[in-house]
Amino acid sequence: MNRRLRNALKGLNAPDVDRRRRAMEPFVRETFGIFIRYLYRYLGNEVECEDVLEDVYADIWENPARLRDVENERQLLRTVYLYYMRKRLREVYRRMNRHLYLAQKDLSNLAAPELGLLDTMSQNELKEALNKALGRLKARERRAIELWRDGMSVRAIANELKTTVGAVKMLKFRTILKLKEMMSEYSERSL
Amino acid sequence: MADTNRKIQELLSDYAGALRDGCLPVFLKSLTRQEGKELSSSRQFWEAAEVVRVLNGVGFADKAATADVGLFASRVDANIASRMKKAKSSPRAKRTTGARSTTKRQRTEKPI
Repeated sequence: MNRRLRNALKGLNAPDVDRRRRAMEPFVRETFGIFIRYLYRYLGNEVECEDVLEDVYADIWENPARLRDVENERQLLRTVYLYYMRKRLREVYRRMNRHLYLAQKDLSNLAAPELGLLDTMSQNELKEALNKALGRLKARERRAIELWRDGMSVRAIANELKTTVGAVKMLKFRTILKLKEMMSEYSERSL
Repeated sequence: MADTNRKIQELLSDYAGALRDGCLPVFLKSLTRQEGKELSSSRQFWEAAEVVRVLNGVGFADKAATADVGLFASRVDANIASRMKKAKSSPRAKRTTGARSTTKRQRTEKPI
């Protein structure tokens, strides 16, 4: 953890609310990039991410006790997710639940799941693991994932790969399961 | 009657698309009762969903991180200020108990 982030965290634990309020700005500056990237995984929408993160920071200001013993970035992200972000993420879609054919538990798992092995990895570790895993895929599987990451629709991918929409969906599903296995291996080895 | 419910691979594909495009509510609303049940009981779907989130984070999250941090910090500060104001004017703070009114009286009487 860099010195500026460590100092910002120290300021957050001040007993005086005004001092804590002043300490929030450097904390926000140091952590905004990390937190918003993490939230984006679950929401995929920058406006919603910012709204949720605003409340997360205000919650941290109100009750920073959980961050007292944080020693590194990974621990910080994990603590913030478990004690501050998760609650807010669950609130995003909670009101929708009465109109959905989805159990409350499943909705919670989609919006703010339990932390899996991959969720605890940092952005750089994930990028590295993903690149390695993509390198081990068959050319057609890798192409399908890359086209999807470029923002193409399933139909466009099907046209590109000269196959049907159904076949692309199946290919993507199998490839993602394959990726999950490969990345889990990598993350277990790196622990 | 034809079965129009989507299969797991189709559900995952639609979930991934919705997450990428930032419109998860549309996907959630599109689920039928049968699809909801199928999704609930499929271990593969939940495993794949974890990777879909990772792909979303690694592939697209950088565009969210380009926001003006200074402006965002002032939004956070305004949120904190409003919470402080709310805490000061909350009914709990206004509630007058015997002990509280005594201290108030003492405080006003002090200068005299």
